[in-house]
Amino acid sequence: MSRQNDRAVDTKQIKKVLDKHKGKMKAYLTHCMHCSLCAESCFLFMSHDKDPAYMPSFKVINSVGTLYRKRGNVDRDTLDKIKKIVWKNCVLCTRCYCPVGVSVPDMIAFARGICRSQGVYPEFDDKGAMESWL
Amino acid sequence: MVEFIKGPMVWIAFGVFFAGLLFQGIRFFGLTRRKERHLIPEQPKKTDGKKKRGSGATREGMWIQRFLWWFEKKFAPMISFAEKRIFPMRKSIIGTHPVMTGVTIVFHVFLFATPIFLLAHNELIASSLGFSLPGLADSTADMMTMVFLACAAFFLLRRIFVRRVRAITSMLDYLAWLITVAPFVTGFLAYHQLLDYEKILTAHIICGEVMLVLIPFTKLGHMIYFFLYRFFIGSEYSFGQGSRAW
Repeated sequence: MSRQNDRAVDTKQIKKVLDKHKGKMKAYLTHCMHCSLCAESCFLFMSHDKDPAYMPSFKVINSVGTLYRKRGNVDRDTLDKIKKIVWKNCVLCTRCYCPVGVSVPDMIAFARGICRSQGVYPEFDDKGAMESWL
Repeated sequence: MVEFIKGPMVWIAFGVFFAGLLFQGIRFFGLTRRKERHLIPEQPKKTDGKKKRGSGATREGMWIQRFLWWFEKKFAPMISFAEKRIFPMRKSIIGTHPVMTGVTIVFHVFLFATPIFLLAHNELIASSLGFSLPGLADSTADMMTMVFLACAAFFLLRRIFVRRVRAITSMLDYLAWLITVAPFVTGFLAYHQLLDYEKILTAHIICGEVMLVLIPFTKLGHMIYFFLYRFFIGSEYSFGQGSRAW
């Protein structure tokens, strides 16, 4: 279906990147208290009928959190799911607020970087139009 | 066994607690060695007021500027009050979630104040270390414990019934809640002697020790990391200068 699906996932490369940023990312993931107070700071959450899938904490838990939980052993389907979370559900406007001080934009940007390294990113068609969900 | 739990284990727990906090602090500063100077915006240089006023302004522009100066001078106190006190409050987390914020503040204040200033705890500190902190009256501490438990119940109900919180809740969250609340429940039961006093007291001491040991290495580590993140990491929401970066 997509050109991106042809490439195999280089889990070693993902693990290497995950290990490099382990200190920061693991600390942020550990100290997220799952309080959901970040929700209202996201305009996408507010404009999507307060759907929890658009909460900043939900996005990091299901992107960076998934990558660390699986220790980088992810397949293309998982990366595609993460792609939707970090591109469709987040525009990286950096307006999210965490009472504890967890930097959500840092984590989303990190997840985007890992997806990009595996050739997973929003695609443009031949006419230059982006994927419909964007 | 009980003697060990009531004696050396208490010191071991405190040792692990303080060493753990120290370790986490050192680890944080180790991970954030680089100074984040580029994120601190440069302050504009102060220029001479007279020069600024006369710099290339048209006649109409001058009148508008004068009117604005007069308006600002006249209404500055009112604008400043609204800007400083009302608008930020509405935009802040306090304005968005007043109940949750209030409960969180009370919960955390009582979480620290109740055990630290409890008379019975201070008696133990005095007998072992020779000094003690000011002690709360037993009835006050009892009231604080009940308020704390009510706040904890609020968090638990929120976690179970509020859709958005449930969506991100894992077993670890319930475990963190249990570790925090258990010493208070057992302490409350021991004070009122509702069950077998000796057993409940032992359970209370074990729960307290478990909490102390786990604080630096689990989610409860936000006790120290809250201050490290909010004061040292450079961001828009930083309380401090934010002079460090990962």
